[in-house]
Amino acid sequence: MTISPQRRGITAAALLVSLGLVLSGCSGDGSGGTGDLVAPGPEVLEDLDEAVQVEFWHSMDATNGQVLDGLIEEFNAQNEGRIEVTGAFQGDYDEALAGHRAAIQQGETAELIMIYDLGTQFMIDSGQTVPAQSFLDKDGYDTGAIEDALLNYFTVEGDLRSFPFNNSTPLMYINRDAFEEAGLDPDAPPTDLAEIREAAERLTVRDDDGTVVQYGFGAAVYGWFIEQFMARAGTPYCDNSNGRDGRATEVLFDDPKIVELVEWWEEMIDDELAVQIGRNTDDGQAAFTSGRAAMTLESTGSLGGFIEQSDFEVGAGYFPLISADDPGGSIIGGASLWINGEGHTEEEIRASWEFVQFLLTPESQSVWHAGTGYLSVNTEGYEGPEAKERAEEFPQFSVAAAQLADSEINENTAGCMMGVMSEARVAAEEGWETALTSDTSAEEAMSAATERVRTPIEEYNASVED
Amino acid sequence: MTSGTAVADVHPQNPAPPRRRRRERGREATLAWAFLAPSVAVFALFLAYPLGRTVYLSMHGNDIIGRPNRFVGLSHFAEMATPEFGGVLLTTLLFTLGVVVPGVVGALVVVLLLEGVIRGQRLLRGAFALPFAFSVASASVIFSVFYSPGNSVLNGILYRFGLDQVPWLTSQEMALWSVCITTVWMNLGYGVLVLAAGIGSIPKEVNEAARIDGATGVRLAWDVTVPMLGPQLFFLIVISTINALQSFGQIHILTGGGPVGSTTTLVYSIYQYAFAYGTSDFGRASAQALVLLVVVLVCTAIQFGVLERKVHYA
Repeated sequence: MTISPQRRGITAAALLVSLGLVLSGCSGDGSGGTGDLVAPGPEVLEDLDEAVQVEFWHSMDATNGQVLDGLIEEFNAQNEGRIEVTGAFQGDYDEALAGHRAAIQQGETAELIMIYDLGTQFMIDSGQTVPAQSFLDKDGYDTGAIEDALLNYFTVEGDLRSFPFNNSTPLMYINRDAFEEAGLDPDAPPTDLAEIREAAERLTVRDDDGTVVQYGFGAAVYGWFIEQFMARAGTPYCDNSNGRDGRATEVLFDDPKIVELVEWWEEMIDDELAVQIGRNTDDGQAAFTSGRAAMTLESTGSLGGFIEQSDFEVGAGYFPLISADDPGGSIIGGASLWINGEGHTEEEIRASWEFVQFLLTPESQSVWHAGTGYLSVNTEGYEGPEAKERAEEFPQFSVAAAQLADSEINENTAGCMMGVMSEARVAAEEGWETALTSDTSAEEAMSAATERVRTPIEEYNASVED
Repeated sequence: MTSGTAVADVHPQNPAPPRRRRRERGREATLAWAFLAPSVAVFALFLAYPLGRTVYLSMHGNDIIGRPNRFVGLSHFAEMATPEFGGVLLTTLLFTLGVVVPGVVGALVVVLLLEGVIRGQRLLRGAFALPFAFSVASASVIFSVFYSPGNSVLNGILYRFGLDQVPWLTSQEMALWSVCITTVWMNLGYGVLVLAAGIGSIPKEVNEAARIDGATGVRLAWDVTVPMLGPQLFFLIVISTINALQSFGQIHILTGGGPVGSTTTLVYSIYQYAFAYGTSDFGRASAQALVLLVVVLVCTAIQFGVLERKVHYA
């Protein structure tokens, strides 16, 4: 890549600016200097000599990657000579985050990067990105059409920090054929744990020797489900109002509600109403599509695959409540888009934002939702031709949007904001799994798991507050 | 550096024979260092530097980006004195034993049994050596289908025979052995290759002499063939121990270190600290990496000290 003299001047200026930012960061600004990065206006893209290059790091491969590439191509065609976006697949979310860390160390971050929900607090603390709110304020961008549950998650201390893009929410899936055979109504799937157990008792099929050939229920020991169960029960996952009124100092998944959930899960397995899956969600999916388990929990993103791979009719319902009187609500998962400011020119920052705006249009979201099964971030996207066609063919696709629309917006449904969220999720899974695979009681296992996260939280908080 | 001082000594006032010899030796040393330079450079770059860096990192804490930002002395090593880390070491030991012993014995049995087969021996040897051609990833994916909790192929077979179902990957007691079985299967091919080559190089006269003395079957195998395979067996034990201690892919794909850490070996623990969950605790990971280095060194030293004495090099 050649750098024109003019560009070299800009690069030098940017270097000076970023040096200044680093210095000011060192002088003890607690927030890590993130507030210093602001969005440039549209004028920086006037009078360009050549197209601004935007490198976009993402974690979308296979079908999802193809749909994303299609959108990138469309944007590049519309902006020929002005902006050119290059997508670069960086492996799964964890790998992409590790790659981004290395890039920060070397001062070579991509212009635009997709980071999963659990990395949100880390992205804020690393102080490399221009807050999303800054772009909204600069342009007076109206977020009215953007899904509220998503804005709720990615808004921290009143400011939107990143742009939701590939997001999902978990649902309960049922084998409609098995429901009918068992004399259950497939249009009214169970809504809480007690109902799942009742249905499972009728759905579980044994052979003449008493060996189970079809289980009523089976889902992976996946930490995201605990986060979802807690949001639906209206209890926070971590303290300080889910880490949104100040830094979280402890996790709360030893809550009696979760102990109740883990005990229920254990009894389901002991009574051979549920198949023991382990932590791998692929195994949970395989148990469902092969007909081994008649009910499962999975992301909206799995719906397309389920319909394709099952030789029975797939039904979808709301994610269950722990008990019938829980308030409901729903949190989201998936990833959001971050525009790097540190070490990038105003042109690059602005060009990235132009591309993000394109992705958030109803037209793009209709294509994205229909092609991948992810939510339409822009709720108007559901009215697009691609999305409508998909909804007509598979009405199950509208369950997720309805579940989110039914969800109350509060701090519990916003989800926990914490720097060591990934470690917390793994600890929750291990506590849950300990109860399932040993004599340790659910209460003991879950409280030991919360203790395990204490040191990582303390160390993380200390290292960002120094 | 050594060469520099040697070269400096080039104009002796009184060229006596011992001096000349020293000068020649100096020149030879220069030449030797020149020839060694490329490998020394590569060694320094890819071994000495990373090792030094690991020591440095192990004594530092990290900021959230993963940059070392504070000196913590030996506290990462002191922290290892916990039941959890003891569990990791125990798992590593059990895994190594569970891979090396059946792996070497299995390969030996296969090779000895194939000795008795006259027709199609090469074909069978080839078939047994085949797992060697599988990458760790593809073999692990195949076994994950065999073990899959919902619809395990192996459980399907057990079911046909009316046998109990086995919780291959979902029980803390079983998961480690399931990973061992996969690893033994993968290693078997290499073991068969090495031992078959060894058996081919045993002089015919040795076997003939033993036969004339009346040795047959098990006796011939145990008292003649096995001792003659000493060097190959020793090599195989050392190599498979080191491989077992460094195993990663099959654990990552089959169990992710679970359930509840029951398959978390030292290497997997290092990975978890350094990379697994968006973490970047390179300090603790490096400290554990040094422990791994010591474990591998000690194992290899013990094997050379104890086993090699018993090896008969023909």
